[in-house]
Amino acid sequence: MTQVTTRPPEVRPVSDRRTWRPVAGAVVVLAGALLPWASVVLPAGAYPDLATLQFFDAPYLVTGFRLHLVLLGLAAALLPRARRSVGIGVLIIALVHTGFLIGYGALSIGGPVALVGGALVVWSGRALPAPELKLPGRAVAWLALLAAFAALLWLVTQTLTAGGQSRATNSYGAAEFLAFCGFGLALIGSLSAYGILTWLAALTERHRLFAFTVMLACALMLPLTEAGTGYWMTVAATIGIYAATATGLNIVVGLAGLLDLGYVAFLGLGAFTAANLAHTLPFPLAALAGAAAAGVFGVVVGAPTLRVRGDYLAIVTLAFGEIFFRAAQNNIGGLTGGANSIPGIPQITMFGQDFNEPLGALPAGFLYYVVAVLMVAGAVAVLLNLKSSRMGRAWRAIKEDEDVARAMGVRTGRAKILAFLVGAMLAGLAGAVFAHKMGTVGYESFDFSESVTLLAAVVLGGMGTVPGAIVGASLLFVLPEKLREFSDYRLMLFGLALILIMRFRPQGLVSS
Amino acid sequence: MATLSQQIVNGLVQGALIGLIALGYTMVYGIVQLINFAHGEVFMVGAFGAHFAFLYLLPEGVSWYVALPVMVVAAVAASVAVSVAMERLAYRPLRGSHKLAPLITALGVSILLQEVVRVFYPHATSPLPFPRAFANGHLVMGTVSVLWTGVLALAVAPLLAWALHLYVERSRLGRAMRATAQDPDTARLMGINPDRVMLATFVIGAVLAGIGAVLYGIHYTQIDTMIGFQNGIFAFTAAVLGGIGNIRGAMLGALCIGLVKSLAGQYAWGGAQYDYVWVFVLLILVLMFRPQGFLGRSEGVRA
Repeated sequence: MTQVTTRPPEVRPVSDRRTWRPVAGAVVVLAGALLPWASVVLPAGAYPDLATLQFFDAPYLVTGFRLHLVLLGLAAALLPRARRSVGIGVLIIALVHTGFLIGYGALSIGGPVALVGGALVVWSGRALPAPELKLPGRAVAWLALLAAFAALLWLVTQTLTAGGQSRATNSYGAAEFLAFCGFGLALIGSLSAYGILTWLAALTERHRLFAFTVMLACALMLPLTEAGTGYWMTVAATIGIYAATATGLNIVVGLAGLLDLGYVAFLGLGAFTAANLAHTLPFPLAALAGAAAAGVFGVVVGAPTLRVRGDYLAIVTLAFGEIFFRAAQNNIGGLTGGANSIPGIPQITMFGQDFNEPLGALPAGFLYYVVAVLMVAGAVAVLLNLKSSRMGRAWRAIKEDEDVARAMGVRTGRAKILAFLVGAMLAGLAGAVFAHKMGTVGYESFDFSESVTLLAAVVLGGMGTVPGAIVGASLLFVLPEKLREFSDYRLMLFGLALILIMRFRPQGLVSS
Repeated sequence: MATLSQQIVNGLVQGALIGLIALGYTMVYGIVQLINFAHGEVFMVGAFGAHFAFLYLLPEGVSWYVALPVMVVAAVAASVAVSVAMERLAYRPLRGSHKLAPLITALGVSILLQEVVRVFYPHATSPLPFPRAFANGHLVMGTVSVLWTGVLALAVAPLLAWALHLYVERSRLGRAMRATAQDPDTARLMGINPDRVMLATFVIGAVLAGIGAVLYGIHYTQIDTMIGFQNGIFAFTAAVLGGIGNIRGAMLGALCIGLVKSLAGQYAWGGAQYDYVWVFVLLILVLMFRPQGFLGRSEGVRA
C-alpha cells in the first residue's frame, strides 16, 4: 500500500513575488508628486483667481495634494496590505488634477506620471484578508477610541473645509475637494486593510457609552477647529438636520424593512406645523407640536401596513407623500403658504440668546449646530435602544419574514405602526428645527426627489446601521455644497449611485 | 350635461394613453414580480425619441403619412433600447437578492433616465412642443368634440391590448410567459428559457410604451421629462386597479383612472388642482381593500 500524503496547500508569503512592481509604483508616484504639474507656466492672474495654481507650476513644492501624494507613495512602498486602496487614492488625485489642468488648457507632467504610478501600485496590490486584532484592556481601549475620534474630527474638518467655501475666490475648489476625498478614501481603505477599522468598531461596541460620549464631545468641538466659521456652522447644522431625518428613516427602512418613499412629508409636516405656531408658542412647544403632528400622520400612513406589504406598501407611502406635496403646493387651508411659502419664521430664542447670533467667541450659527448635533445624538440613542429592544427584534423578524414573525407570536401590526410613528416623530422634530433655522418654509423643499435623497442616504450608508444613515446623509448633503459646478448632475448621480450600490454593495458603505 | 359628456370623453382618451403604459407594468409584474418603476421613464424616452426623429431626422414639411410611422419606429427603438439595457444591466444581476433591492434599483433607474434626458437632450430643461398630426381637426358629435388624435388613441390602445391578450393566450411565447409567471424553475425544466421570456416581456412593454408615447405627444403637443413619472404612477394605479398581471384589466383600470381624474378635476372638491390627489386616494384605497383589483389574479398572464 502506498501512503497517500496530502501536502498542505502552498502558502506564499506576501512579499516573495512581484516585488518590483510596488517598489517601482511607489517610486513613480513619488516622482509624479515632485515633478512640475503643468507643462507651461500658467498665465498669472490677479490674486483671487489664479493664486492657488501655484501648486502646479513650481517643481519640488510639496504642499497640499502633492504632500498627500508623497505620503501615499511612501505608504505604497512600506505597507503591502494597503497598496490597493493607496493606489486607488493616487489614481483619484492624479485624475482629478490632470482633468482640471486639461480643462484649463494646460498639459500636465506630474499628473500622467502619478497616474502610471497609481496604476502600478493598484496592479501590485492584492486583496488579503485583514488580520484580526486582539481587543485590549480598558485603558488602552479608551485611549485608542479618543485618538480615533480625534482623527475622525480632523478628517471631517479637513473634508469640510477642503477647497474653501467660495468658488468666487477659488475656481479650483471642486478639484481640491475631490482630490482630498481621494486621499481620505486611501486613508480609510488602508486602515480597513489592516483590520483597524473592524478593531475600532469592536471597541466602540464594547465601550458603547464611552464611545458615544467621546463622539458627542468631538462633534461639539467642531466649531473650535478650522471649520468654526458661520458658513460652515450653517452647512453642518443643515447636514445634522438631514442626518437626524435619515436616522428616523433608517428605523423604518433599515430596522423594520418597510420601504417608505414619501418620508420627506413627515419633515414637511413638522416644518409647517412649527412655522404656523412659531409666533404663538415658544420653540420647544412648537417642536413638540411638529413632532406630534408628524406622528399622527405617521400612524395614518402606517395604518395601511396592516393590510399592504412589500412593494405595494412602498407605493402607498409614495401616494401619501404626493398627496402631501400637492396639498402643500395648493396652500391647503391657508396653512402652507402655497407658492409664496411661509416667510418670516422667527429664529429660535432661548434665555435671551438668538440662536443665529454668535455666542461669545463662538461663531454665528453655533447654537443651531449644537441643536442639530443633539438631535442626531438623540435619534441615534433612540435607534440604538430600539434596535436591541424587544421591539427591535420584532422588527428584524418582520423584515426577514412577516408571516413567520406573526406565527412566532410577534404582533406585527402594532410593531409596524410603531416603526412609522417613531420615524415620523423624529422627522417632525427635525422639520421644526428646519423651519426655524431656515426662516422660511415652502412646499418645494419636500418633493419626491428629497424623499429619494433621504432614501439614498440610508441605502448608501448601510440600511439598519447607526453610522450608516449619518455617513450617507453627510455625503449626500456635503457633496452638492462642495460641487456646485456639477449641481445639474446631482440627481443623476444619486440615481446611478442607487443602482450601483444595489448591484455591488447592497449592504452599503458601512456594513453591520 | 355637455360638460359631463365632454369630460367623460377627455377622461377616456387620457385613460387609453395611460393604458398603453399600464400594459407594460402589468406584464412585467405578472412575470418577474417586479414593480418596474422605471417603466414610465421608458415611455418618456420613447416620446423624446420620436421628438428627436421629427426634429433632426425628418426633412421639414414631410407628409404625415411618412412622419408618423417614422416617429413611431424611432420611439419604439428608443424605448426598447432603454428597456433592454435596464433589464440586462440593472435588474437581471439582482435576481434572488434582498427583496427591497430591485425596487430601489428601479427608483435609481427612473431618476437616472429622467436626469440624463433633462441634462443632455437639447432644451429638455423646459417642456418641449411636440408636433401635432392631422392639423387641429376635431371630431364633433353633438356637444362633444374630440381631437382626431384622441380618436386615434381611443381606437389603437384597446386594440393593442386585445391583440396582446390574444398573443399571450395563443402564441408559443405567450404560453412560455404564462408558464414562467407560474413557476420559473419548473418552466426551465420544461425547456423554457426564463431569461429570454423575461427579456421578451420587457421588450413588449417597451414597444407599447413607445407607441403610447407618440400618441401622447401628438395629442397633448407637449412633452417634458416628468411625463414618465406622472403617467407611470397613473399607469401603475391602473394596473393594480384592473388586477395586476391581467392584460385586459390593465386597460380597463386605465380607462377608469382617466375618468376619475377628469371627473374629479371637474366636480370634486378642490377642482383641477387636486385631480392628482384623487387618483392617489383611489390608489391607496384599492391597494388596501382590493389589492387583487377588478379582475383578480385568476386569469391573464399571472395565472
